[in-house]
Amino acid sequence: MSNNILSVNSLTKSFGGLEAVNVENFQINSNEITSLIGPNGAGKTTFFDLITRFQDADSGSIFFKNKNVSKTNSYMLARLGMVRTFQLTRVFDRMTVYENMQFAGSSIKNEGFLNSLFNKTSLRKDEGNLIEKIDDTLKMLNLYEMRNAYARELSGGQKKLLELGRSLMKDPEILLLDEPLAGVNPKLADNILEIITNLNAKGINILMVEHNINAVMKISDRVVVMAEGKIISDGKPDFVRSDKKVIEAYLGSSDE
Amino acid sequence: MNKYITASLLLLGCIAYIFLSNDTGSARVFVNLITFAGVYGLAAIGINVHFGWTGLLNFGHAAFMGIGAYTTVLLIPHSLGREGVIISTGLPLPIAIIFGLIASALLGLLLGLPTLRLRGDYLAIVTIAAAEIFRLLVRDFENLTGGVYGIIQFSDSLQVYRPNFVDVISTKYDVSSAQLWVAILTWISIVLVIIILSRLQKSPWGRALRAVREDEDAVRALGKNAVWLKLQSFMLGAAIGGLSGIFLVFNYGTVQASTFVPVLTFYIWAALILGGVGSLGGPALGAIIFWVIIAGTDSISRLLFESPDGQQLAGVRFVIVGLLIMLFMIFRPSGILGKKEELLLDVK
Ligand SMILES: Nc1ncnc2c1ncn2[C@@H]1O[C@H](COP(=O)(O)OP(=O)(O)OP(=O)(O)O)[C@@H](O)[C@H]1O
Ligand SMILES: [Mg+2]
Repeated sequence: MSNNILSVNSLTKSFGGLEAVNVENFQINSNEITSLIGPNGAGKTTFFDLITRFQDADSGSIFFKNKNVSKTNSYMLARLGMVRTFQLTRVFDRMTVYENMQFAGSSIKNEGFLNSLFNKTSLRKDEGNLIEKIDDTLKMLNLYEMRNAYARELSGGQKKLLELGRSLMKDPEILLLDEPLAGVNPKLADNILEIITNLNAKGINILMVEHNINAVMKISDRVVVMAEGKIISDGKPDFVRSDKKVIEAYLGSSDE
Repeated sequence: MNKYITASLLLLGCIAYIFLSNDTGSARVFVNLITFAGVYGLAAIGINVHFGWTGLLNFGHAAFMGIGAYTTVLLIPHSLGREGVIISTGLPLPIAIIFGLIASALLGLLLGLPTLRLRGDYLAIVTIAAAEIFRLLVRDFENLTGGVYGIIQFSDSLQVYRPNFVDVISTKYDVSSAQLWVAILTWISIVLVIIILSRLQKSPWGRALRAVREDEDAVRALGKNAVWLKLQSFMLGAAIGGLSGIFLVFNYGTVQASTFVPVLTFYIWAALILGGVGSLGGPALGAIIFWVIIAGTDSISRLLFESPDGQQLAGVRFVIVGLLIMLFMIFRPSGILGKKEELLLDVK
């Protein structure tokens, strides 16, 4: 068995004449923070969508934990341990922060119609057991004070945190974060980075898309650069930072 | 003002209105109104599960009501309209009703399977079309459904269960005992359905439906099968619609192709909007108010026209109900009992 948790071969996706994604080969090694960077429209979000099965690829295959998941439903993939967030934050607006977390954490079994209707004691116990985990997560994310607010009342940055917190309720093995720092103030950004680093230390693999280059270089074990659908560079932060192709396509010379 | 006080005052006002505006036979009018209100209220509760809980747009509720009603009536002793073919054997009513509810839920499954994977507007279109197809099928398959002549003489299956006290009351107040019995059963059903739904609403299942209503993609990203949740919601609401359809035809004592027309769905939506989308009691309250308004518009018609015919009555009804919905949308879009914070204007 290889030690990669996620492996992608010849994954392509076109929109009309535009080839949004064309990735020959891509692996995530266990227990790393990998960042995916690249110019706007490079295909990063589409690549995320393909991996998480939110969109069907035109061709290619995806292996998660050495299992072929190229045709697996997105929600099944999430159950297997691959959980994502969205570039445009998606919280359940008209549910409270707490309910957002409860929904994420509750088991499929308890969400069954009959189990819910007859409100078994086991169900109540399960729901009770969630409380502690929810509280801990909310406290870690500094959302505890807001737990009874409707999610739509949160600020943009707080919504990002809630989305992250919700994902954590799933105990993911790999977390795909699409621009976790976008629209977040520097202090909160530092918080989120620290949280991400801590999660990784607990054994959660991280794959994140992020435009904040300083942050990316600071916390990533590995940086992957996409441009026009293809991976053009892949390696340690220092390697990528000085890669000519990357400077040309994305970083520019502002780095000097 | 507290919305529950508003609701109670409105209810009291409605009842007072009935008794003041009909000195002769007001009890009769009251029972008639409360029966229709119950039927529409139950139907609106079904749509509320779809729309209020899950964000599903169902514009073909008449079809779910209809298939439940036809299935039930065809399974009990009845006779077919034109030739008067009498079918004197059949299932006991409770079992027939269960089949009726299953038929409604299955129609929900049938319509939901292909459409619930797609965007929300597809469901709206498909339900409109399905209701129309249902009506046409009922009209054209006359051998089975009685077509425009309909089905009659099925009421006994329900009325044999009528307890004595119903007759005592109806004699005392000079109201139809058969209708009073339907009214009582309908409102008992509403209470039972609301009790069941209130359990479900607080449960993980109900919470999951709300999450689907808010954002399906996020639901999927959290490992939940959004399509399956929507299907379940759709089937449950359809079955509740079926139950209301059954009571509707027992109230009429007949059923024909014109019983389940598109305007029925429109009126039920009106009741739901008046009462408050998303709230448990809202739909039933909305249905009462809706029927009082209907009674009121009919008296307005009588002022406008010497002796209004059905078309004139319907015209005035349309105008006033339409105006009222507009006014509610502008001044109280959450309805009487709805929560402002959970106001629903966008659709899945
Ligand atoms: N549904 C779609 N239909 C047509 N074209 C699309 C669609 N989704 C994405 N694209 C195109 O595919 C390309 C890649 O888009 P994608 O969103 O993956 O970029 P990105 O790298 O995430 O960019 P950003 O950094 O701005 O988020 C873009 O050119 C975009 O216009
Ligand atoms: Mg993107």
